[in-house]
Amino acid sequence: MPRFRLGDGVDSAVDFLQRHLSWLFDAIGSVVSGMYDGIDAVLSAPEPLLLAGILAVLAWWLRSLVAGVLAFAGFALIDSVELWDDAMATLSLVLVATIVTLLIAVPLGVWAARSRAVSSVTRPVLDFMQTMPAMVYLIPGVFFFGVGVVPGIIATIIFALPPGVRMTELGIRQVDGELVEAAEAFGTSPRDTLLRVQLPLALQTIMAGINQVIMLGLSMVVIAGMVGGGGLGGAVYRAIGNVDIGLGFEAGVSVVILAMYLDRVTGALSLQVSPLGRRAVAKAKELTGGVRLWDHRPQPVVALAGVAVLALVAGGIGVLGGSPQSTTAQGAGNVGKGQKITMGYIPWDEGIASTFLWKELLERRGYEVDARQYEAGSLYTGQAGGQIDIQTDSWLPVTHAAYWAKYRNSLEDMGSWYDQTSLELSVPAYMKGFDSLDDLKGKASTFKGRIIGIEPSAGEMGLLKDKVLKEYGLEGEYTLVDGSTPGMLSELKRSYDKKEPVVVVLWSPHWAYSTYDLTKLKDPRKAFGAESDGVHTLAREGFSADQPQVASWLKDFSMSEEQLTGLEATIQSAGKGKEQEAVRTWLKDHPGLAERWTPVDGGSSG
Amino acid sequence: MSRLQAEHLYKIFGRRPAEAVTGLKNGTDRDALRAAGTTAAVIDASFSVEPGQIFVVMGLSGSGKSTLLRMLNGLLEPTAGRVLFDGQDLTALSPRELRQVRSTRISMVFQHFALFPHRSVLENAAYGLEVQGVPRAEREQRAAEALELTGLGGWETSWPDELSGGMQQRVGLARALATDADLLLMDESFSALDPLIRRDMQDQLLELQTRLKKTIVFITHDLNEAMRLGDRIAVMRDGEIVQQGSAEDILVTPADDYVASFTQDVDRSRVLTAAAIMAEPETAYGTRTDDGRELRTAEDVMSAAPASVVGSTPVGELFTPCSTSGVAVAVTDGEGKLVGVVPRARLLAALGEPLTPPAAARTTVGQPPASTTTGEAAASA
Repeated sequence: MPRFRLGDGVDSAVDFLQRHLSWLFDAIGSVVSGMYDGIDAVLSAPEPLLLAGILAVLAWWLRSLVAGVLAFAGFALIDSVELWDDAMATLSLVLVATIVTLLIAVPLGVWAARSRAVSSVTRPVLDFMQTMPAMVYLIPGVFFFGVGVVPGIIATIIFALPPGVRMTELGIRQVDGELVEAAEAFGTSPRDTLLRVQLPLALQTIMAGINQVIMLGLSMVVIAGMVGGGGLGGAVYRAIGNVDIGLGFEAGVSVVILAMYLDRVTGALSLQVSPLGRRAVAKAKELTGGVRLWDHRPQPVVALAGVAVLALVAGGIGVLGGSPQSTTAQGAGNVGKGQKITMGYIPWDEGIASTFLWKELLERRGYEVDARQYEAGSLYTGQAGGQIDIQTDSWLPVTHAAYWAKYRNSLEDMGSWYDQTSLELSVPAYMKGFDSLDDLKGKASTFKGRIIGIEPSAGEMGLLKDKVLKEYGLEGEYTLVDGSTPGMLSELKRSYDKKEPVVVVLWSPHWAYSTYDLTKLKDPRKAFGAESDGVHTLAREGFSADQPQVASWLKDFSMSEEQLTGLEATIQSAGKGKEQEAVRTWLKDHPGLAERWTPVDGGSSG
Repeated sequence: MSRLQAEHLYKIFGRRPAEAVTGLKNGTDRDALRAAGTTAAVIDASFSVEPGQIFVVMGLSGSGKSTLLRMLNGLLEPTAGRVLFDGQDLTALSPRELRQVRSTRISMVFQHFALFPHRSVLENAAYGLEVQGVPRAEREQRAAEALELTGLGGWETSWPDELSGGMQQRVGLARALATDADLLLMDESFSALDPLIRRDMQDQLLELQTRLKKTIVFITHDLNEAMRLGDRIAVMRDGEIVQQGSAEDILVTPADDYVASFTQDVDRSRVLTAAAIMAEPETAYGTRTDDGRELRTAEDVMSAAPASVVGSTPVGELFTPCSTSGVAVAVTDGEGKLVGVVPRARLLAALGEPLTPPAAARTTVGQPPASTTTGEAAASA
């Protein structure tokens, strides 16, 4: 069977689109990000509890007093775990995605309901959109739209569109044919038949579709977080990246609260807006008889007035309060003058340490630094596209060779800042008799035939698959398990605690070596490469020209093993979400370092 | 001029409809077409309906009667043939003109009522006027009047799902009447109702018709209903109209066995009239009264007859007089002139079996279906 080069065709199609339709993607991107910024600005303006109050009144009006109280409690919980801004970012993302989805899905569904041809063409396309794994189009999404919130929204739209279209089509098709015929028999025009009969009667089904769209949108936020979408998805991704179960749970619960709120409110809304729903509610009320106190719902006018008053108060506070600007750098030290620099990092420990170190250093010099976590592929793609200025954790020339080969023309190498790296497979020290990769041969049953790997996109995984396992004849005997760094570390911890055999993919420097007693398996045949990697800082093309001062600092930057492991350990002990505070503590313990790394002519800074 | 005329209407579903029409005209079999994947729903249907008439199209399900009805207001476009409504060819109109005709001059009542569940009773009744663009106040007033007419005054603010089936169909009828259309198309409108309600609705329709004098095309699969309502009846079978005529024509001279088999279950005593079964007056001459007096003239017959009735009297009313006397019942015209007689034997024969040919009646008397029908008829009389 000849190999059909489907993928190559897709590759060149993506290239073609990127080259010739970039204006279109830019236009789409700016519309979507404009909508997102607008909605996010509105949602983040008021005091959290005030907005929680507004949302609670909405829930009270649409459902019941109990729903309103629960909604308030839920949003207050989000605020108290300090995820409010993330939650509002996520809410904005979902709202934008939902609005755009509906603008496409409802007309398409109507069209599909009226034309068999359209219906049969859209069906396989919708299947494709719904079942194609999101990561597959997320990376091209980064090509077209850059990293950030836009590809996340686009991916969400693609994923959430099918139920919107399907439910609209279904809703219209299931309107009793005799009713449509009756409308026609009385001379109703096709347009009026749609507006007066079909859409009103289909509205409940369409609203169920909208509900589905919102729910699917929320389920995509974590994936959006992987390409820098931020919000709760980013928080979840960060948490799983750091094996921070607590933060992961808080962010996850916040997603659930948002989901339940949106689900219940849209569900109630569908009863309120659809004529059939109103009819059903009225009937149910007749059956149950009297109205109980806790079922009382404010009249629409009262509710709207309440929302308006709260919104005005919120707006007033937002305007009067302003936002406190942090001023960390003054005088001669302020060479950045508020210029923005974006940094991206993969949640590996040396990456986190160096990124937050530089975030702190640059902020002390008056720059505004935005550091975000990405999945490796989207980090390189985004940086090559010019959205990310700096990343500090590129392992060259070996581990990240594939990315470097692909994007070298769009990136600038700022040099290596750390040289003592190595890649290896490691086993716990209690595994006696395993010192070298050769010792693994014939022992597959001990390790259940598994080598616990990390992200398949990691360069080390590629090396293992393509070279190292073959070199030592381990191919076929062992399975290299694709997973994630946190997954690998969890498996290591679990096995280590139980003293079970385990072999993991690891690299140095890594805090795991100071936390656990591990044996690095020797590589006598130099299969991991004779030369070891240096950790390089990469900048986007043109960065040196735009920011010569920062570029020269980065080029001169280097860290010793003692400094790096010390910084990593400080960050580890400070706990998650406090990386920058840990950096400050560490810098305080190492006076003079900051000034050495970021020298300013004739001045010092505080 | 006829209000409504159908001229050689064909409706073909499936591939190459025009070829199918040509084939049917040249004698191709309907079953042969179906084997080729083409369905001939209506084949060469022609009829005319006079103003103020109720024209009933009767047939089993699948006989093409609903398709025929939908061609009359253009919901379905005929494959061939013309529909003339007050002399205007509906098949030649543009979709917009056709909608105009439908909204103002033809209205329709449906089998399952087809009320809009998201509109109140009044809004449903006013729907046709709303489509016409009649201002709210006026259309609500006219809709309320139509509801009053169908006996639903006071239910305006109710919702369709709060009404019984019969009441819902009254709303459907009111909706059709509110536009004041000349032509009313009724598609099995009473079939979904239970028998007592159905009877009520039939009575009400007849009562309304005496006042409103609409032209009505009524579809049904129930011959009793057809006979009760229809001024003229067309019987359809496999897409073709096999017989047209008055109720008596169908009962007394069915065109073929198919029609005859329908008529078996009909309550003949209610449908047949004295005029339909009476014999010539002369046949009574020479008969004798119970006390032996011979009848020689019309006057003799009329004075000796146990009753004297007009031609439109249902035969059900002749049983009691016939049972009290051997002399035939006299049938007179409006001026009291003797036009026919109904002797006892003829009355029984008429209930037993279609009278074509008369000899057939004699041979089948006493067969189970005939005697059953007679028994029922006698009981109901």
